[in-house]
Amino acid sequence: MSYHFGRGWSKLVPYLLLLPGLLFYFLISLGPSMATAVYSFTDASGLKGAPIHWVGFDNYREFLFMGRASLDNLAALQRTLIFCAAVTLIQFALGLFVALIVNQRLKGSNIFRTIYFMPVILGVVIQGLMWSLFLFPLGGPMAKVLSWFGLHSEFLGGQPTQAFMWVIAIQIWANMGTTMMIFIAGLQTIPSELYEAARIDGANALQAFRNVTWPLLTPSVNTNLLLNVIGSLQAWQLFLVLVGYRNGTQVLGYLVYATGFGQTSGSVTSSFRQGYAAAASIILFLLVLVLGMTVQYFLQRREARILG
Amino acid sequence: MSATTIAKRVLPRKINWGHVGSYAVMIFFALLYLGPILMLVNTSLKTMPSFMKDATSLATELHFQNFVDAWNKANFPKYLLNSVLYTTAATAIYILTAVFVAFPIARGYIKYSGAFLTLFVIALFLPPALIPQFQLMLNLGLYNNPIGYVLLFIVNPIGIVILVNYIKTVPKELDEAAALDGCGYFRFVWSVVLPLIQPALATVVVMHAIGIWNELIAPTIYLTNKNYYPITRGLIVFQGVYGSNWPTLAAAVMLLTLPMLILFLFLQRYIVSGLTAGSVKG
Repeated sequence: MSYHFGRGWSKLVPYLLLLPGLLFYFLISLGPSMATAVYSFTDASGLKGAPIHWVGFDNYREFLFMGRASLDNLAALQRTLIFCAAVTLIQFALGLFVALIVNQRLKGSNIFRTIYFMPVILGVVIQGLMWSLFLFPLGGPMAKVLSWFGLHSEFLGGQPTQAFMWVIAIQIWANMGTTMMIFIAGLQTIPSELYEAARIDGANALQAFRNVTWPLLTPSVNTNLLLNVIGSLQAWQLFLVLVGYRNGTQVLGYLVYATGFGQTSGSVTSSFRQGYAAAASIILFLLVLVLGMTVQYFLQRREARILG
Repeated sequence: MSATTIAKRVLPRKINWGHVGSYAVMIFFALLYLGPILMLVNTSLKTMPSFMKDATSLATELHFQNFVDAWNKANFPKYLLNSVLYTTAATAIYILTAVFVAFPIARGYIKYSGAFLTLFVIALFLPPALIPQFQLMLNLGLYNNPIGYVLLFIVNPIGIVILVNYIKTVPKELDEAAALDGCGYFRFVWSVVLPLIQPALATVVVMHAIGIWNELIAPTIYLTNKNYYPITRGLIVFQGVYGSNWPTLAAAVMLLTLPMLILFLFLQRYIVSGLTAGSVKG
């Protein structure tokens, strides 16, 4: 594309004005992101002026194969995968279901749509505190509902698996609106003539969904699946607000944070192990990469099959 | 009058069970979403003894004192001001630099503009910058420093991609015409392009600002001085101290939630268009 705003030296003006933004990006985001790999081979501590040594694969070895701690790490890894699978599948299914219902444009459906999307703006702190109150074990709303059935639960303060399941539920609650909105945008691109034609051909609602909606929704399906898989693998902030760093509930993202920046329990703050944390975050990154690419591969094959 | 019209008048209209079912589902989900907020509102208006006696009973006493307590004890004015300052400063720096990155890339006014765009796209897949970023800030002496904190948020690769895509829809003939009239590059971007890409700018600004506003991890890592806390960190600390006093805590949460919900009604469409930008076409 030819440049119209002057010749000679003045052609450099765009470069000059681009420089600050590019520099910030390299310095604050891209550079540090790549440097994570380098740090994962060191014993960096996160204390100012402390010497940093090269330790090779020690961090990885310790993370994966050393005694009880690595058993905990592997458990956290497994939990991350469970969290990812549960959140992705349920959020995807609920998001699609709700999008289909809201998209019928019944009276007032816009209001409902807005209500479901609302947590997106509130952020993890408000989401978390709101739910801590809603799950207040001593007579909160959810406890009351359970008590009608003669049940009792400690919710987030109960058994680790139980607390974990509640965080999954709240994570889905908080982000279902995003999935729904992407589906609604996809649904609105499907021409209504197709439904008309399907109806004339005698298709019932289920058949219309299977043969018109589902295949034509492919782009939104792909976007949502990828976003949900990657997002849920990296999500951990609700754990911080809702349950804290509790044994039996940690996921990888939280583990990276806790080992890198010290975990305060009571008055004891564990030491900063940033080289080790960097290794953990590279392992998480590899998980995201492998799972993301696998999902992408199957989605593309499916897309080719539908279009071809 | 024929028999059918009489039948129509006498018999009630046929109920569309599909619609009834749809409304039932929509109302069920709405309760799940409004429930926690209603509980928050109700609790924030109760006294502590009444909350302990029955947490879910309707607040009859309208104990507004909770809000006064929360406002004072949670150091709200200070934290709110910090949040506003961080958010506006970082968003302003970001959007000003981002436009000058996105425009030449969209137009191909710089060499290898395709490669530059890729550089911003890959950021979405790279490992988190958490640890090296911390080391950088520490060694620059920007740890526990408001300026260092703002610097963390002057980057947002997704925003660049959205801006590039939008700028491509602005006709290129404009550039030529403006240049012929003697308009310089900076002035063109500033006074012609900026107004034309306002919808995309609004989307990117809103998304970026909300991200900073809601950030919890960065202040936990980087800010140790209480005077520098943004409101998110302030609320978590307040929870640590007043965690068992739910009425006051709920009032504190309400003080932050209410303005955000009102803002949400105005900003919703920008957030939605940011989310769905490019996702429909895949």
